[in-house]
Amino acid sequence: MARDLIKIKGVSNGFQLMVDSSADLTQVQEELERKLAEHPEFFPEGTKFQLVVADLHKSVRQGLGSYLQSKGLDLADSTKKVSTGAVRPNTGHANADNAISQPNNGRNEGDCQQVMKVINRTVRNGEEITSQGSLMICGNVNPGAKLVAVGSIDVRGNCRGIVHAGAMGDYQAFVVADRLMPMQIRIANLIARSPDEPEVSQYAEKAYIKDGQIVIEPIER
Amino acid sequence: MSEVIVITSGKGGVGKTTTTANLGVGLAKRGKNVVLIDTDTGLRNLDLLLGLENRIMYDLVDVTEGRVPYKKALVRHKKYETLFLLPTSQIKDKSAVNPAQLMVLCDELRKQYDYVIIDCPAGIEQGFKTAIAAADRAIVVTMPEVSAVRDADKIIGELGRAEKDNISLIVNRIRPQMVESGDMMDMSDIDDILSIKCIGQVPDDEMVVTSANRGEPLVGNPKSQAGRAYDNIVRRILGEEVPFMTFEKDGLFTRLKKAFGM
Repeated sequence: MARDLIKIKGVSNGFQLMVDSSADLTQVQEELERKLAEHPEFFPEGTKFQLVVADLHKSVRQGLGSYLQSKGLDLADSTKKVSTGAVRPNTGHANADNAISQPNNGRNEGDCQQVMKVINRTVRNGEEITSQGSLMICGNVNPGAKLVAVGSIDVRGNCRGIVHAGAMGDYQAFVVADRLMPMQIRIANLIARSPDEPEVSQYAEKAYIKDGQIVIEPIER
Repeated sequence: MSEVIVITSGKGGVGKTTTTANLGVGLAKRGKNVVLIDTDTGLRNLDLLLGLENRIMYDLVDVTEGRVPYKKALVRHKKYETLFLLPTSQIKDKSAVNPAQLMVLCDELRKQYDYVIIDCPAGIEQGFKTAIAAADRAIVVTMPEVSAVRDADKIIGELGRAEKDNISLIVNRIRPQMVESGDMMDMSDIDDILSIKCIGQVPDDEMVVTSANRGEPLVGNPKSQAGRAYDNIVRRILGEEVPFMTFEKDGLFTRLKKAFGM
């Protein structure tokens, strides 16, 4: 598996963009283009990106800046503190799902705030729910439903749909559910599918990436 | 107080039209004024199940396009005086009626009748959207089969997006023997996914086929398990608390006969 040159993480007022400082501009730009095209719903016009690599070559930074600008997106300077009053990008969905901010505990990648979307109902067949940050479902996720989050996913109920955490390449993202029996679990660019003879799980479980593989283990909650 | 109920399912062949016909007859038998509207334009069947095909003069499209008043298009049932059918066109297609037209019509019908029951076409396209537009209440019909349950789930989601909150479930064509042997989904499996209020469990019954051929819905027929189940649903719609029936399974002798193909 090739290492990702860039990583995108949702924060309260946009995204953090982490770039491998050894890469050159064309490579980075290609990969960024691919990632933006994969989930255009995450990046409505005016979305703010914050570059968090210190030693990136100036030309790469400038190149990225003008590339994002051409897409109607905005690259903030990493040296500047992004003001907390910035407008949160609109998710583009007309539903009344509320988003709340949650302190990003236990992760030491800067003091950023991560957005969490909370859905307080059953997610049914044919529905797709996306979140620029993390996603919490208080209800069941039925077969045929799809959850996609830039951050992690927590299902307080049965999870039987397709779940994709860390959709922009966050390997630290995870999926937790009271009963985790999804058709597929995707984390960053890894995919695991359910066994052909599905079994009913008895306890809450967590799926995350360990040694380049998606692993599932029971958790207490 | 009158109520507009849509009978829907997503998947075809689960028994929407059969359910509509039986609920209509059941409610009429209990003295209610009922109109059944077939919205499956181009593939109408409800008239057949009620045995009213030969009495149709005008149809839903004539009414919504203003060619005739609805009273002229209504077909009174031959046996139950308070039951009426508004058949649809067999020539036109689903685009012939739009949601706004049906809403206007239902508002008219509401003034005269206790129950307006709309038979929805299969699918989630225009026909479905038209059928649900005017409904106060939706009844989703499904079968104990993964595909039917999956489609019912989708339909419940669609109804939610259309802001229809009063949704209940009828599980049709249950085969108790298969449920018992674990070869068919049971009620808890279905409830686990759909998690909406169930108002009916109807067993698979050969008499449904014969009654359809004769054009006489079997609701309330004491000889038929499905007939009794439909009658229970009617009572639940009218607000009674009725416990779910336990299905009689075939006796040893009947099973032996079936095993030998007799």
